[in-house]
Amino acid sequence: MPKWVGPVATTGGAIVLGAIVLFTGSEALRPQEQEQAAVQAFEAPVDVDTARLDGPRQPIFYRHDVHAGQYEIDCRYCHSYAEISTSPGLPTVASCMGCHLIVGTGNPEVQKLRDANARGEPIEWIEIHRLPQFVHFPHNLHVVKGELACQECHGEIERMPQVYQFASLKMGWCISCHERSTYTDNPERQVSTDCTACHY
Amino acid sequence: MSDGMNRRKFLRVLGASGGGAVALSGCSTDSVEKLIPYLVPNEDQIPGIATYYASTCRDCPAGCGVHVRVREGRAVKVEGNPDHPINRGKLCARAQASLQGTYNPDRITGPMARNAAGELEPITWDEAIARVAERLGAADGSKVWFITGNEGGSFDQLVNEWLRALGSSGRMVFEPFGYEAVRYANRQVFGVDAIPAYQFADAEYILSFGADFLETWVSPVEYARGFSAAHGYRDGAMGRYVHIEPRMSMTAMSADEWIAPAPRSEGLIALAMAQVILSEGLGRPPRDAGRLRGVLDDYAPEDVAVRADVSAEIIRRLAGEFAARPSIALPGGMGTQHTDAHGTAAAVNILNYVAGNVGRTIVFGADVQAGGRSSYASIEAFVTAAAAGDVEVLFVHGANPAFATPSAGGRFGAAQQSAGFNVSFARFEDETTAAADLVLPDHDPYEQWNDYEPRAGIHSLVQPVMQPVFDTRQTGDVLIEVARRVGGRMVQGFVPARNDGTYKDYLQERWRELQRERRDRRPFDTFWREALQRGGIWSEAPRSTVRLAPSASEITPPAAGAAPEGQFTLIAYPSLALYDGRAANRPWLQELPDPVTKMTWGTWLEIHPDTAERLGLAEGDLVEITTGDGASLTVPAYLYPGLRHDVVAMPLGQGHTRYGRYATDRGVNAYGLLNQDPTAFGGVSHYQTVTLRPTGDHEYLAKTEGKRRQLGRGIAQAVTLAAMQQGEGHPFHIQHAAAVPEREERVLDDVAEAQKEATRYGPYAYDETKWGMAIDLSKCTGCSACVAACSAENNVPFVGEDQVRRGREMHWIRIERYFEGGQDGEPLETRFVPMLCQQCGNAPCEPVCPVFAAYRTPDGLNAQVYNRCVGTRYCSNNCPYKVRYFNWYDMSTPNDPDTFAWPEPMHWLLNPDVTVRSRGVMEKCTFCVQRIRGAQHEARLSGVPLADGDVVVACQQTCPADAIVFGNLNDPTSRVARTAADARGYHVLGGLNTKPSVTYLMKVRNVEEA
Repeated sequence: MPKWVGPVATTGGAIVLGAIVLFTGSEALRPQEQEQAAVQAFEAPVDVDTARLDGPRQPIFYRHDVHAGQYEIDCRYCHSYAEISTSPGLPTVASCMGCHLIVGTGNPEVQKLRDANARGEPIEWIEIHRLPQFVHFPHNLHVVKGELACQECHGEIERMPQVYQFASLKMGWCISCHERSTYTDNPERQVSTDCTACHY
Repeated sequence: MSDGMNRRKFLRVLGASGGGAVALSGCSTDSVEKLIPYLVPNEDQIPGIATYYASTCRDCPAGCGVHVRVREGRAVKVEGNPDHPINRGKLCARAQASLQGTYNPDRITGPMARNAAGELEPITWDEAIARVAERLGAADGSKVWFITGNEGGSFDQLVNEWLRALGSSGRMVFEPFGYEAVRYANRQVFGVDAIPAYQFADAEYILSFGADFLETWVSPVEYARGFSAAHGYRDGAMGRYVHIEPRMSMTAMSADEWIAPAPRSEGLIALAMAQVILSEGLGRPPRDAGRLRGVLDDYAPEDVAVRADVSAEIIRRLAGEFAARPSIALPGGMGTQHTDAHGTAAAVNILNYVAGNVGRTIVFGADVQAGGRSSYASIEAFVTAAAAGDVEVLFVHGANPAFATPSAGGRFGAAQQSAGFNVSFARFEDETTAAADLVLPDHDPYEQWNDYEPRAGIHSLVQPVMQPVFDTRQTGDVLIEVARRVGGRMVQGFVPARNDGTYKDYLQERWRELQRERRDRRPFDTFWREALQRGGIWSEAPRSTVRLAPSASEITPPAAGAAPEGQFTLIAYPSLALYDGRAANRPWLQELPDPVTKMTWGTWLEIHPDTAERLGLAEGDLVEITTGDGASLTVPAYLYPGLRHDVVAMPLGQGHTRYGRYATDRGVNAYGLLNQDPTAFGGVSHYQTVTLRPTGDHEYLAKTEGKRRQLGRGIAQAVTLAAMQQGEGHPFHIQHAAAVPEREERVLDDVAEAQKEATRYGPYAYDETKWGMAIDLSKCTGCSACVAACSAENNVPFVGEDQVRRGREMHWIRIERYFEGGQDGEPLETRFVPMLCQQCGNAPCEPVCPVFAAYRTPDGLNAQVYNRCVGTRYCSNNCPYKVRYFNWYDMSTPNDPDTFAWPEPMHWLLNPDVTVRSRGVMEKCTFCVQRIRGAQHEARLSGVPLADGDVVVACQQTCPADAIVFGNLNDPTSRVARTAADARGYHVLGGLNTKPSVTYLMKVRNVEEA
């Protein structure tokens, strides 16, 4: 089963990209330390310097580090179609209100959500991980058959106060993984590097 | 492209190194896109997963069942419902393009009323309904008229009940093709006012008296399936099909023999055949058929031969063939749309009766809805009433009589003006809406609740597959609401208004009754849900036995008459793509090449090449057609050998004066030439005597036709049935149009040799799978449903008339049509070849691509990587099949309004699984690779390996004749591998050593070896 929430065993992609994640004043952790961090309960910082965060400013300052990190809510709780559809799905306003009817009512950002719900308007999030339309990426295959953790492509989302694009999402990046998997002995994990695997 | 650094790129680089300088970095796009989730989750919709809803196609009266594919809440593709008894999973081209009606940018977006300045302006629904109620409250109920299209179900009954409560008897059904003559003849000969079920599959001999049963007549998809079963070659046997009509229609092109009698003389031939069968004791006629002897005595073949212009010998031969086997004779199409059509249809009825076909291949009791109760005569009755001032309020729903009646709707339009108040429920602004005082747009069929009964025993449901695109409202609900507002007797006498319900409640009430009739004791919800999932409920078609009616001996003697010397008989026939014109606002259908002429986007006059030469006409020369009444139209000539010399023909459907951007002012309306007076049987005569005058002007035709003859290339090959039967297991004689000249043969051999040398590295390894296709030309009818299905599945844009003229049409699959014979007294023969990418094993396109955008996939596809293509077009130049299409313009963005193919909301029908190609990119068929990959993903996730038939490509899925087989050629047990191994199999231009993955099976012609 995929590791849904937890440390990433690969190299610190955040450093490679030159992006800096700010939490509790530390730099990105080394793998060993990461594992320890996962065991200890993570506490998201109360105050973050929003000006220094990577990624676009969203209509609501929704914090993955609070939801997925501190409260350890499973990614699939909100992105509920990741295992069954090509698209992972976004939580509907109604899903958010499942908790926020009661929780966090004093928070001004939560209030934005509650206002939108009252007006009957959806939240217009800014898309971060965007593939051009000539690429077809089925989430379900990668998650179920590829046994990839979300973090392998999306980075340590559970430590991000504001989400930024972790991987380049360029073809070379896709291929680097596909090539590795082409020559594996495990037929379950063999994948194609044929152009029409993704481009059609 | 220069390697220069523009501002945007500079910022992006800075962003990556400097950190946090720009908000958005990295990704390949520069624009900010929004992700907007649902407000409340929709249990039917999961993003990325298609949902299918069963419904019914309402684009023609046939009533085929459909499955509508819905992605993210929007319908994106229509497929046939495999359970539905009418079409069994197949659809025609018009149904495939039906979503272009739903998403038409020229739909009426909300209720409108005519203001003081005479212009339509938007109003609210509340106000609109109040205005109708006010008007009706003051009107004399008996002066209210209601015209609908062909409705066979709950809506039909609702309108009747509504009018009854109003005290009106002014209900009319208008369907331009009402099959009045067939129903008239059935009344006369059998005493039944109905259209029977024609069971093609049970016939071994099909004789059509003008019926275009593969194009528009009654139920073309159903008949194509039956025809394919009866006439397709299988194991050394096939049926024989003879077509009798002055013009060779697309349907006639599938015939083994085409006989062109004098115009309007088909009935004489039928009677003469019946006379021969009776007098010579052929077959086993029913006992009471002897009564007809007296009638038939005057119609010996020798008596009619001259008038029909068909020799007595041929008639006797046909009679012998017809009586010898289970047969079916069809009165229909243009054979039953002229002044003597009731006589023709009656004569064909008699022929069928005498041959013992009635009750065997022609079964009464199923009461086919096709023409409904429609009659052109009722429109004339309305015109008379309007002239007398007896029309206070006129409602029109689902009909366009101001276009589709003789004089191009002029007489109806004038009558409409004299009505006090015109209310239209039209979805599009059309000619009839032009006179409306109030427009209350109805939902599209894919947005509404309804039902339809295509024939007795079949109740087909129509359900909304998505939210309405515009602010439209279902007419049933509007009528109920109006009744409530009028109050008084409209509420007392009209149950739905008295109950506190909607039209859907009314519909369900009717279905409760159906459930009771079927003695189904389950809870209604269970019954209803099951019916919705299946698409309706159906039972075995009821059968009733008919006998000769006493009036059978009083049939109108069919007259025959060629036009006087110097004049011509014009046949105005319904278009395969546009039907009577209702589909003219769908650009895919406008650009669908007519299978006969390969013409697109316009009107043309078919004229025999010999006649054209006599008149000094060349292709594209404009001809002025004038009738005896002085009506005239000018159209370009198309030289077509499939016509008698004294006959010219033109399609209906074009010449709209008001029908959206794609149809308005395009071509001419052939209805303008037809005679306004109803025929004796209450229909419209589609034959007209005309004179022709070349105007001297010329037009370059927008057609996709290449060479008409094969010139020895053996593209469309055929073999006779006799040769197949003799040559079992032996190589048989292939009928080439002409022998390949020796020099060309040598060149072809040299090329093949060189190519073989080029493949010395061995073929690409196909480990498990090599996708391939087999197309049986003995089944293909040329109907072009595959072309429309491919466009819908693969986001193929239309390019417009001007681009077609430049040869830039983009249909990934096209129907090639070649003529054989037709010269020096030889019979004219036509062959169709669906031409798509052959997915060559040794593809000429691949080695010339400088960027490896065209390459071979390991599973045998000739792939085209759109994002890698730089548009050199070398591949297309090197493709011997000409199946690669270049995007000369950006069809996918509104930058160039002339070529923009998807104006809002048309882009909603784009298939999200297929890339929308942009300018400068070469595109082509890849065997619906998105469906292959989708099925493979599914198989991988479920752990169940792909089985034969799990991948169905779009053209194959819709093919009404089931001519296309697709699958894995490497699996010897697959249907495609077995079909491709057939003795009739050949590769088009196989001599070029392209090693195609598409195998064609030769057409088999059931004719005597010449």
